[in-house]
Amino acid sequence: MSDVVNTERSKKLALGPYGRVGKSLNELDDRLGVARGGRTFMDKIFPDHWSFMLGEIALYSFLILLVTGVFLTLYFIPSSAIVTYHGSYAPLDGQKMTQAFASTVNLSFAVRGGLLMRQMHHWACDIFVGAIVIHMARVFFTGAFRKPRELNWIVGSTLLILAIVNGFLGYSLPDDLVSGTGIRIAYSIILSVPFVGTYLAFWIFGGNFPGTIIIPRFFILHCLIVPLVIIGLVSAHLFLLVRQKHTQFPGNGRTEKNVVGSPMFPVFMAKTTGFLFIVGGITALLGAFAQVNPIWQFGPYDAARISYAVQPDWYMGFLDGALRIWPSWSFHSWGHTIPFEVLIPAVVLPGLIFNFVFVWPMIERRFTKDHEIHNLLDRPSNVPLRTAVGVTMLSFLGMLFIASSTDVLAKFFNVSLNTVLVAMRYLTVIVPILAFPITYRICHEIQTLHGGGRRKTPNVVARSAEGEYTATPSPRYVDDVPSHLEATPVPTYIHEESEESGESGVRVVDR
Amino acid sequence: MTDEHRTPVSLSGLSSNDPRLQPAARNPELVERVISVCFIVGTLCLAGFGACYWIDAQAWKLGATLGGGLLFLGIGIVAWGKYLMPRGPFVEERHTLANSDADRQAFTASIVERGGSVVQRRKLLGGLLGGGMGIFGVVVMFPLLRSLGPLPKRTLQRTDWRSGSYVVDQSGRRVEVGDLAVGSIETVFPEGTENSDRGQAVDQTVLIRVSNEAFTTMQGRETWAPHGYVAYSKVCTHLGCPVGLYEQELQLLVCPCHQSMFNVTNGAVPQFGPAPRPLPQLPLYVDSSGFLRSQSDYHEAVGPGFWERS
Amino acid sequence: MTSPLIKRCLAVSIISLVGLGPVVLFVGGAQASYKVTPYQTSRKNAGTPNSTMVKKNSDGVIIAYGNSSITYRAPSAALVTLGDALFQQNCASCHGTQANGVPANGTAGAFPNLVGLGPATINFWVDSGRMPAANPRSIEASRRVPRLTHDQALAVSAWVNSLSPSYPDIPYPHLKNANVADGAALFALNCASCHTIEGDGDALAMSTFSPSLRKIPSIEVAEAIRTGPANMPRFTGNLSDAQVNDIVKYVTTEIQHPNNPGGFGLGGLGPVAEGFVGLAFGVGVLALAGFWVGERDD
Repeated sequence: MSDVVNTERSKKLALGPYGRVGKSLNELDDRLGVARGGRTFMDKIFPDHWSFMLGEIALYSFLILLVTGVFLTLYFIPSSAIVTYHGSYAPLDGQKMTQAFASTVNLSFAVRGGLLMRQMHHWACDIFVGAIVIHMARVFFTGAFRKPRELNWIVGSTLLILAIVNGFLGYSLPDDLVSGTGIRIAYSIILSVPFVGTYLAFWIFGGNFPGTIIIPRFFILHCLIVPLVIIGLVSAHLFLLVRQKHTQFPGNGRTEKNVVGSPMFPVFMAKTTGFLFIVGGITALLGAFAQVNPIWQFGPYDAARISYAVQPDWYMGFLDGALRIWPSWSFHSWGHTIPFEVLIPAVVLPGLIFNFVFVWPMIERRFTKDHEIHNLLDRPSNVPLRTAVGVTMLSFLGMLFIASSTDVLAKFFNVSLNTVLVAMRYLTVIVPILAFPITYRICHEIQTLHGGGRRKTPNVVARSAEGEYTATPSPRYVDDVPSHLEATPVPTYIHEESEESGESGVRVVDR
Repeated sequence: MTDEHRTPVSLSGLSSNDPRLQPAARNPELVERVISVCFIVGTLCLAGFGACYWIDAQAWKLGATLGGGLLFLGIGIVAWGKYLMPRGPFVEERHTLANSDADRQAFTASIVERGGSVVQRRKLLGGLLGGGMGIFGVVVMFPLLRSLGPLPKRTLQRTDWRSGSYVVDQSGRRVEVGDLAVGSIETVFPEGTENSDRGQAVDQTVLIRVSNEAFTTMQGRETWAPHGYVAYSKVCTHLGCPVGLYEQELQLLVCPCHQSMFNVTNGAVPQFGPAPRPLPQLPLYVDSSGFLRSQSDYHEAVGPGFWERS
Repeated sequence: MTSPLIKRCLAVSIISLVGLGPVVLFVGGAQASYKVTPYQTSRKNAGTPNSTMVKKNSDGVIIAYGNSSITYRAPSAALVTLGDALFQQNCASCHGTQANGVPANGTAGAFPNLVGLGPATINFWVDSGRMPAANPRSIEASRRVPRLTHDQALAVSAWVNSLSPSYPDIPYPHLKNANVADGAALFALNCASCHTIEGDGDALAMSTFSPSLRKIPSIEVAEAIRTGPANMPRFTGNLSDAQVNDIVKYVTTEIQHPNNPGGFGLGGLGPVAEGFVGLAFGVGVLALAGFWVGERDD
């Protein structure tokens, strides 16, 4: 080297083999000590089965809810003060309405991009709850809630409840005719609780229905309190997932003691970032092309007005369906009333369902006496009892959802509304009861079937000169020859040789 | 890849020409070109979003450009990760979460032994503190609950209808005996409450003319429906929705929420659906000027059931 | 594969169905059976209030009345003979030759008595195609392609009205003078409970239904409001002509030409349709995307 020490080359050499980036990271490590943990994190392996992406749909739609929600809070005014609307939407011009409703109409028509943000927010919520449900179903059917992940199951179930509640609070904020009816129903449900119902209702609503404080209270719950809890629980959910590592399906090289998949950096980060964009893109496209919650058509809420064909948003549909089909079982004696026709479908039933969901890991542990740690997942068909229980519960909830649209069904199928309701009462009991043994049976059949439930490999079927058929598995790529693949066996009902027919080449087929 | 190369391998100590580090795609250049197209289309869409916003285009154009842009970028990034990055599979060992027995014992000992010494020797203090925390837990709920609203008292048991209240429509116009034809329905309130929240929520009443002569819905109510004007509370006894759906040939009031059906001619007794009680009937009379007025308040609490409802 | 466990499950299912089914479904509450007895309603004060303009012909018979909101016009007397012929041809087989609900076989009360119902009622039923009825036994006649033209319908109503002249006459709303915002408020209070707030109609009690309002001309909307056909209640003194005019304007503009700035209206079915779209196109498409992003087993 020469005497001059400040050449470019020597500066470069001084930086080390990784240049400026390496120097910056070293500085970071000096202050935070992140080098070893960072390397572990970058090397972290994520199993990448497609069914593990369902939870990410929920996570990213929640991010979209946060971003669009912040935008909305900058324009929405959570007040029940009465104002007169003067704006671009003629059918409301000059009408009196609450400031909450007026600000939402303003947001939809007068704020640039406001309608898109509102619709994206609403669609993201529908997708959020839907993704949580199918993600929970995946976790349930594959047994991912077993030890050591019971705590994560409880966190997740709580998240489902909070998502549903926050959705209800959110779509009630604009104080329009449709959601206002939902608030009236919620008030009556709270009233129906014995002993304390009237007190709770008067305290939550600040008096008799409707009062003027409920919209501001819903706003604080929807934008501050519940999202904070959700963010906290989602962080706990992800922390547990990272700490306990993700589960994986059994298969090639996978054991209870390892994780097989792709590394965090760069593969998993790329896939998950791309998926975030895809979720955002689909939400934006829905927000662009599918109108949702057109509150300007509904008009402001007025306790004396009502529209027919009013259902809550889909994730509350099971409550509405239960309320419709439940018989009118009111208890009225000794100077007191217990409205069981409200209490059972709207308070007791969801309580039972969610409690059942919460304690399921404990129930299963008690029956299977399985206290082992499980990092490998089950194939649903290999656990017929659990799968049958899950399908029964889902079909029960599904029937309740369908029961909430009795009027739409009557209109669509052109039958009497009364007939549809009576039919739904029967079906809500019959379908889940039938689902159990059918599912159980199907699981057993899949188990006994050769290669049942698995992707079939195509076979190359060759016929030799003597007429013998052989089947060899056909790989996806020419140079990809997995030895563990098996050919699907040749059907046994084709006999190789037949006594009755002496001619060669004639086959007797046995049916 | 042969079987050997399908076996998952650890990331550390991998030779740089290991086939598991190769891209998954068989034709990486083609895939790269497709991804470039995705990125270009996505970027153009997002630029379009900016342009649409600038010119204040319709909402669907904003959404379509934003959605298309995000979607194409997303597809490109995923394809990059899926087809052009190391195909794997890679493996990592799970470390048992549980610590060694010695560690566990030490942890438990630190709680039990040290805690035990506290509790066992100072039982009285522990008990008093527990009692204090218990009281705190109870009284801290007082402002969180009780300050939220008033006590219900008898608010739910009565409405604003009084003896002699004028029956008015939502614009405040008093209803006269000649107003409605048979088969008509109107939403009415006691005069003075038609614009208030409480009036709309609690006092709302449906007025139906079922005949031209006085009408008896039930025994004991012979004077309640003069000139055929029957008045029922509009608040459904199931969950409080306004029962505004009147079918005049079937003589049914149907609640639009959960389709409870009330028979108008016999005191709004529910014929079908989840509602448990008939809609309370408001007794009316016609005064000397021909205006409809109420004889008294409803004879029972209106609306859905609650514990104190006798 | 009928293991003992499955046999037990099936047994439990059947027992619970048979045993609990009736208990769960039908015990409790007022579930009286209900007979449908439609009966003829009488008419009074329909369509005559708030008339600032009354026009009589040379014989002193009122041929038009109304105000700046709605003008009610009686069908021309010249159409009576034509109307008679049309009625005998199309309607008398059910409603009788005297339009009194006594058909040729003499069973009185089998079909409605049309005498004294006013021209607007008759015109509504015929002009909307509900009459002549496709199925006289159905609980509610549906809107169909009308069998008679507009003028023929007017003629029929002219003849029926001539038997016993009554009100209301055919309403012609002056939509220029209407206020669509007032109409929206009135619609929400009076009409949305049956026709839905978006005006798409839906199934009501038993097999009745409220029809969709999307394709109805303004005269028909006004006629329906004033005359209350079939199960629809009538609005007489409780809605002034200005208010009816406002509702007609709201229906013929906002309901029939909805401004859907947010995209496809999803059939106006509300949250039910939104749920389907959100789950199928939202979660469904994203799950498919996840299927592509992730791997499958080998």
